[in-house]
Amino acid sequence: MMNIDIKKQTRVIKENLFSSPVSTLLTFITSYIMISFFRGMFGFATAPDKDWLSVLNNMQLYMVQAYPESDFIRIWICVGLGFIFSGLSVGLWETEEKTSLSKLCLTFSKIVSGIIFLTIIAPTTSVVVSTATGIREQVDVFSYAERIPLLSILLGLLVVFFLISKINLSFNKSLLVSIYLLVPIILLWIMKIPTIQLDADNQRVFPDPLMPIANSTKIPWTLIWISFVVAYLVGVYFKNKKQFKNAVSISWVLLPLLIFSWIFKKPLIDLNELIRNDIPVFIGFLLIGVLTIYFINNKIVEKFYSYYLGLLVVVTIASLFLKVILLVKAALLLLLLFSVIIPAVSTSAKGKRSLTIVWVVSLTTTAFLLEGGTSTTQIVVPGSSIFGGFSLTWLLAIFGTYVSFPLGVLLALGRNSSLPIIKGVCTGIIELVRSVPYITWLFFASVTMAVFLPDGVEFNLIVRVLIVTAFFSGAYFAENIRGGLQSIPKGQFEAADAIGMNTVQKTSLIVLPQALRAIVPTLVSSIITSFKDSSLVTIIGLFDFLTIGRMVIGNQSIPINFIGHDRENLLFIAFVYWVFTFTLSRRSMKFEKRLGLGER
Amino acid sequence: MNKKAIVFLLVFAMVIVACGDTTEEAAVEATEEEHDHEGESTLEQVQERGFLKCGVSTGATGFTEVGDDGSYSGFDVDYCYAVAAAIFGDYSKVEFKQLTSAERFTALSAGEIDVLIRNTTWTQSRDTELGNDFGPTTYYDGQQLMGRVADGLSNSSTVADIDGLRVCTNAGTTTEKNITERVGLAGGTIQLITVEAFSEAIDKFIAGECDIVTTDGSGLVGRRAVNDALNDWVIFPTSPISKEPLGPTYRSNDSQWADIINWTVYATIIADEYGVTAANVDSADLEANPELGRLFGANDGELQTKMGLSADAYYQVIKQVGNYDEIFSRNLNPLGLYREGGDNDRWADGGLIYAPPAR
Repeated sequence: MMNIDIKKQTRVIKENLFSSPVSTLLTFITSYIMISFFRGMFGFATAPDKDWLSVLNNMQLYMVQAYPESDFIRIWICVGLGFIFSGLSVGLWETEEKTSLSKLCLTFSKIVSGIIFLTIIAPTTSVVVSTATGIREQVDVFSYAERIPLLSILLGLLVVFFLISKINLSFNKSLLVSIYLLVPIILLWIMKIPTIQLDADNQRVFPDPLMPIANSTKIPWTLIWISFVVAYLVGVYFKNKKQFKNAVSISWVLLPLLIFSWIFKKPLIDLNELIRNDIPVFIGFLLIGVLTIYFINNKIVEKFYSYYLGLLVVVTIASLFLKVILLVKAALLLLLLFSVIIPAVSTSAKGKRSLTIVWVVSLTTTAFLLEGGTSTTQIVVPGSSIFGGFSLTWLLAIFGTYVSFPLGVLLALGRNSSLPIIKGVCTGIIELVRSVPYITWLFFASVTMAVFLPDGVEFNLIVRVLIVTAFFSGAYFAENIRGGLQSIPKGQFEAADAIGMNTVQKTSLIVLPQALRAIVPTLVSSIITSFKDSSLVTIIGLFDFLTIGRMVIGNQSIPINFIGHDRENLLFIAFVYWVFTFTLSRRSMKFEKRLGLGER
Repeated sequence: MNKKAIVFLLVFAMVIVACGDTTEEAAVEATEEEHDHEGESTLEQVQERGFLKCGVSTGATGFTEVGDDGSYSGFDVDYCYAVAAAIFGDYSKVEFKQLTSAERFTALSAGEIDVLIRNTTWTQSRDTELGNDFGPTTYYDGQQLMGRVADGLSNSSTVADIDGLRVCTNAGTTTEKNITERVGLAGGTIQLITVEAFSEAIDKFIAGECDIVTTDGSGLVGRRAVNDALNDWVIFPTSPISKEPLGPTYRSNDSQWADIINWTVYATIIADEYGVTAANVDSADLEANPELGRLFGANDGELQTKMGLSADAYYQVIKQVGNYDEIFSRNLNPLGLYREGGDNDRWADGGLIYAPPAR
C-alpha cells in the first residue's frame, strides 16, 4: 500500500489538476486563495492580542447559560444517553469488518503529511492592530526555529508509519475504533490547559498558569466516553440482531422527549390528577391504537380510513391550540404517526403483534415522560430561562426537525392528494409559510401570536418559536418530499394498482420509501439549514449560542475582563457550527451509501 | 362486517370524547399560564407570580453583564434586584429579560416585563407618547465623542472639528439622532456608520473603519480604560452634547407600582446620605436618625405598608443589595467611572443625586 507508484501519482495529478491551460490556471488561483485563507486564519488565531481564554472560561455559559450547577447531573445524563445511543448506532451499522495495519498507516501518513504541509506554509508574522493608534503592526508568531522540532517529530512519525506499514497484519475494525475512542480519555487526564487565576487583589495572573482539566469536566466526560465505547462494542456484537436495531431506532425517536423533559423539570407525580385525567386518557388512546391495528384489514374500515386520518390531522392540529392536557396532544400526535404507518405494517399477524408492542411501549414512554415533564416542580434558574446557549440552539434544531419532518410528510402527501379540500389546505399552508421570510415568522411568534391564541392561553416565547419553526421547516420539508414523490415513475403506481393495493398501502409501501430515499441529501441539507437558522432567534431576544458570543462575552468586565474579545468568540462559534454540520453531512454520506443512493 | 364498522365508529367517538372530556378538566391544570389579569395592579400580578420580570440590556458593560456561570450583574441589574428585595424581601426573585433597544418599549407595553431598567434615556416623547412613565434618574449620562489624539483631536475639540470624518454609533438610539442634529447645526457633514451593538462600533474604531465613535460617556470611558488608551484616545467635548438621564421605566397609570419603584431608588439614595451600607445596616442608629427609622420600618413601617409592601421592605433592599454608592462603585468603579465631582455625586457635594425626604 505504501509503495506509492510515483509515475501513477504524477499521472493522477496531471490529469486532475493540469489537464489543460484553463485547469492549470484554476489550480493556481484556487491554491493561492486556499493558502492565503489558511495563513490569514492562522495569523489571526495566533496573534498575541487574542485572548482565547475568553472562550474557554465561558464554556459553561456557552453550553447551558444559567442552568443551575446543582442539577448539572441531569445534563450529563442526557449527554451521556445521546452518546450511548450514538455508540450503539455506529456499532450496529458499521459496514467494514476488518482493516489492516498498512491501510491504517496510509491514513495516518496522509494526516501527518497534511499537518507538515500546513506547518511549512504557516505565516511567521501576524498583524496586530494597535488599539491606541489604529496602526497595523507586524508581530512574530511561530518562527522557523519553533517549527523545526515539530517538523522533525512529524517527519519521524512519517518514517515510522512507512516502516510499520510493511508488517502484514489485519484486525477487527471495532478494536481499532475503541482504541481511537480511548485517546480522548487519556488526553483528558494528562492534558494541561491554561487557566485563569486571580491573585490576592483579584487581578488576573499573567501568563495564565497551566493547570490540569477540572474534575467537574474530566470525570463526567471520562464516564461518557467509556460508555460510548462500551455502547459501540455492544452495537458491533449485536450487529445481526434485527430486533435490537429496531429498538435502537425507536429509542432515537423517543430520546429527545426524554432528554428535554428530564432537563426541564423535576419529576413529581400528583396521584389525584393521575387517576382523574391521565390514566383514562392513556387507556383510551391505548385501546384506539390497538383496535386500529387489529381492524385495519376490515373492508369498511379501509374504505373510511383516509377520512379517519384526515379527521385525526384536524383534531391533532386543533388540540395544539386548545386547552387540553399535554398528554392528549402528545398522544394524538403519536396516534397520527401510527395511523399513517399502520396500513403498511399491519398486514400480517406478525406485523400486527410487533406493531402493538411498539404502540404500547411508545405510548407508555410518552405518558411517563410527560408526567414528569409537566409536573409543577420546575428547575429554578435564577434570572433567566432554562434553555440558553447551545442547549437552546440544540432544542430549536432537534425539535424543529423532530416535529417538522412528520408534518412535512403529511403536507407533501396532502398536496399530492386527489381530494380537493385536503389538497387546497395543504397547498395553502405550504405557500403561506414559504412565502414569508423566517425572520418575519419569528417576529410573528414574538409579537403577534399572542393575539391569535385563544383567550387565557399564553405560551412561553421558546414554545412559540418552536411552533413557528416546526411549520416553517415543515413546509420546506414538504416541498423537498414532493420533489421526491414526483421522481417516482408512473409505472410504480400502476403496478401497485394492478396488484390491488389501496391508496394508503400504495403511499406507505411503494411511494414514500422510494421518495424519501431519493431525497436523503436534500433532507440532510434541510436539517443543517434549520440548525444554522436557529441562530436567527437572537433578533427576538432569545439567547442562543451565537448571541452569547456576540453580545454577552464582549461585555464582561467582572470578575475577568473580556471586553472587546468578541472576534475570538465568533471564530470559535463558526468552528463549532462547522464541526456539527460537517459531522452531520459525513454521517448522511454513509447513510446514502448504505441505501445505495446513486448506485442503483 | 357491520359489527366491525360499529366498533370502528365507537373508536371514532372515543377520540372525540377523549378530547372533549379533557378540555373541561384541563382548564384547571392546563400547563399554560392564566392570562386573565384584567383589573389587577402590577404589584398584585407580580406578587401572585412570585417573581419580578425585569427588562435589561442585551449587554452593556457595567450596567448589564452576564457572568461565565450565567449570573447577572451590573448597575441596572442591581436595581432589578433592589426592587425584588423590596417586594419579596428576597433579591433573587427576578427573571431578567434581555431586550434590544428596538424591542424594549414593545415588551414593556405588552406586559412581558414589569419594569424596564435598561439604560434608557428619559425623553419627552418616550414619556408622553409611548404609554410609559419614568422613575427617578439613577445615572446622569451624556453623549460624548471619542477620537484619536493621532488625528489631531484633543479634550477641547468640538463637534465642528469632526467635519468630514466617519462616525460609528448604534442604530435606533437617541445617540444617532443627537449626533446628526449637532453636526448639522455646526454646519458640517459626517459619514455615519451604524452598527447593531456598541462593541461592534469599538471594533470598527480600533480597526480604523471609523475615525470617531460616539455613545454615552459612561460607555466611552469604560472602553478607553480597558483598551489601555488613556493617552491615545480622547473623549470630547467636555460638556456632553446631550443629556442622557438613565433610570427605570414602567407603564403609565399605575401609581402604586410607580411609587414602589421610585422609592426603592430613593431608599438607596437616602441610605447613602446617611452612610448606611449593607455591612452596617444592622447597627445603624435608627433612634438618632428618625428618617432612617421610618424608612427601615419604625411605627410598624406604616410608610411602607400603605404602599402595599412589608414594613422592612427598604431595610431588605439595603441589606441585600446595598445603597446607591455601593451599587455605583461595585459596578462602575472598575471601569474607571467615579462619582466624585460628577453629576452622579451626592447633591450635598454638588452632584444631582437627590431624594425627597422619607416622612
